[in-house]
Amino acid sequence: MKLEIQNVSKKYNRNKYGLKDFSITIEKGILGLLGPNGAGKSTLLKMIATVSKPTEGIIILNKNNILKDANYMRKQLGFLPQDFGVYPNLNAVEFLEYMAAMKGIGGPNLKPRINQILEGLNLLDAAHKPIGSYSGGMKQRVGIAQALLNNPKIVIFDEPTVGLDPEERVRFRNLISDLANDCIVILSSHIVSDIDTIADKVAIMKNGTLITHGNQETIIKKIQGNVFKTSIDKTQLADFKNRHIIVSTSRKNEKLNVRYISSQPLENSIKKETNLEDAYLYLTKIN
Amino acid sequence: MKSFIKIIKLDYLQRTRSYSFLITLCVSLAIAYTFVPEPNATYSTIRIDDYVGYYNSAWFGYVTAIITSITLSLIGFFLINSGIKTDISTRVGQVVAATSISNFKYLFSKVLSNFLVLITIIGIVFIMSIILFFLYNDGFVFEPLQFIKPYIFITIPSMFFIAVLAVVFEIVFGKYSVVQNCIFFFLFLGLMQFTPKNNFQYSLDIFGTKIVMNELENTVKKIININSTENLSIGYVLKNVKKAKKFHFNGISFPTIYLLSRFIWILIGVGIIAIIAPFFHRFNVKEKITKPTKNKVSIVKEFSKEIELINIPKASLNYSRFPLLKTELLLLIRKDKKWMWIINLIGMLLLTLLPLTIAHQMVLPILWFLQVNRLSDITTKEITNNTHYFSFSSFKPLSRLLVTQLYSSILLLLFLASPLIIRLVINTNFLLSFSVFLGGIFIVLLASVLGMISKGKKLFEVMFFMITYANINGIVFVDYFGGFEHNQFYPVQLSIITLILGSACFFIRNYQLKG
Repeated sequence: MKLEIQNVSKKYNRNKYGLKDFSITIEKGILGLLGPNGAGKSTLLKMIATVSKPTEGIIILNKNNILKDANYMRKQLGFLPQDFGVYPNLNAVEFLEYMAAMKGIGGPNLKPRINQILEGLNLLDAAHKPIGSYSGGMKQRVGIAQALLNNPKIVIFDEPTVGLDPEERVRFRNLISDLANDCIVILSSHIVSDIDTIADKVAIMKNGTLITHGNQETIIKKIQGNVFKTSIDKTQLADFKNRHIIVSTSRKNEKLNVRYISSQPLENSIKKETNLEDAYLYLTKIN
Repeated sequence: MKSFIKIIKLDYLQRTRSYSFLITLCVSLAIAYTFVPEPNATYSTIRIDDYVGYYNSAWFGYVTAIITSITLSLIGFFLINSGIKTDISTRVGQVVAATSISNFKYLFSKVLSNFLVLITIIGIVFIMSIILFFLYNDGFVFEPLQFIKPYIFITIPSMFFIAVLAVVFEIVFGKYSVVQNCIFFFLFLGLMQFTPKNNFQYSLDIFGTKIVMNELENTVKKIININSTENLSIGYVLKNVKKAKKFHFNGISFPTIYLLSRFIWILIGVGIIAIIAPFFHRFNVKEKITKPTKNKVSIVKEFSKEIELINIPKASLNYSRFPLLKTELLLLIRKDKKWMWIINLIGMLLLTLLPLTIAHQMVLPILWFLQVNRLSDITTKEITNNTHYFSFSSFKPLSRLLVTQLYSSILLLLFLASPLIIRLVINTNFLLSFSVFLGGIFIVLLASVLGMISKGKKLFEVMFFMITYANINGIVFVDYFGGFEHNQFYPVQLSIITLILGSACFFIRNYQLKG
């Protein structure tokens, strides 16, 4: 399995790009796609999912140009969009049967497959109730279920953990790890903790461009030794912000504990272990 | 007050900054162009016996104001009667409900924004009436007052009242939009039947048009010197080849009681809103309509076993359209309330029992029109339900999904028309049964194309309503189901139009799929 995105751009008008000259090669495993809101993650994923076409560049899956043969991608795609809806008058089983028919799958194994997926996503009890009566998290799980229907070889999850509670998030992560043994999983989020525990590789985007791409260790190495923790007065915060990149703050009495990135740390600072969130914040700030 | 104006302004902007509103304005412009026929045209809009007025300012002003008042009262209602529904579906309503705005203020802001939408359309018609005056000028002087007066005293108060009715109907009938539309339609027909005779009775005419129509009749009566004029025709009469004679119409001087009544109708409208405001659901809709204890799905906290993907049976490839068709039909069937199916069955019974001509000319178009809610989002439900990412990334969305969506809707219409088709076949009237078949395909394709172009339901809903209204009134030109007598080329013409619509449908969807 090899997905090659070559010099892809999405131009909305003369000066506005959703994505600009974006290139990346993705192979089996989990790619975590990180970026602030508006970075172009969803634009890229929609293009890979054949929902939208780039204005420039090509997307190749196993030597097939999917811009010319979109159905080649669609046959092996599982796609969970960021903002999707459901037909409220159908129940979960009917909706999944409909999705299966759209994907061109069926046969005697379809019903057992649907039931087992619903069971695994904790939806079996509500499977025959109209989706209109589901909570946000349940709808999100229906969305995840439809992405798994067709034994996908490429799975795209765009902000998949929205609406899921902590337990569901853990189960979802396990599911993705399981999936990645056999296919390409692209997982987009702006929440680093959704990605850092499971992604084999990480790509960080900003303003429609790729800032960096590689495995987590390589990315983290870029700021190794530059993450510190210190305590400052609340009144110093504004000035501190101007001089360093703040990762997080926490209140302690009249003081603020600050975790920050800097090449010139304050004297009383303690050096901290670097993680993906530090690297992400650093890279998106300086680029 | 400032914030109240802001609410109206922003609501108005939200409604008018849409592609469908732009199309509505273009259609209004095109229709307004036909309000006063070109001197050699073979149709008429307002004609009294064999007479039409000289093309002076008064004729243009009054004729366009009357036709606008009548047509926009009917069509405008359907255009604006979803302001509150939109706030429910976009969930803005919940935010509104949590603010300090009073029910009356909120509802009145909806009335005013409805009114502004209608005024915008009136503005387009008004400008077109002036353009037409200069286009077809008979050498008369341009008198702006003759244009402004009828619009101010006839059209604008009518539109305000329609804006009020739209809000009232939304509150009273809630999400039962079919009931809402049907009741308004019959109310409209009832109001149109009202025939006032004196100044006091004129003031009871909501549309305010009867006073002018009677004046036109009386003028012609004096010319031809008879007491009864039975051929006053208002509305489109096609193939009106007999050349009309001309008479002078210089406008009318409205009696004081009439002028006062137009103002009073506006006050009555405000009063109705004040009366109904305490009964407004204030977006507490779900709790009112459903019984939460019965329908709400509880979140099960105990987790079942995790998915082991490797052990899940793999589904095989199956490119059959049948499962898609099954669900598309299910979606269509469940679209409206269950009792709508009782009405559909009654309609089918009438198609079976009533004389063939009545069944074909009257029952069929009405029965099909009752499916407007199902048909209007055949190809837009992906957008409205936000499932388009699934549909557009499905396998062969054009040749499988779109085709199935069209098939299912055609099947629904043909199923409803089946008693009539069977009767026509038994009578060996194969051409007519083919026309019904073709009509079903035509209306489904029209719904699909208009839905895709306007990215919404309204355009088709209004268009379908107009077509049905015209058919019930025996206007042969818009007969799409072979209910009336036609020349031998009719099936060919209808087939060609259907084919064009079909091609457009595939072309537009293909374009959408290319993102």
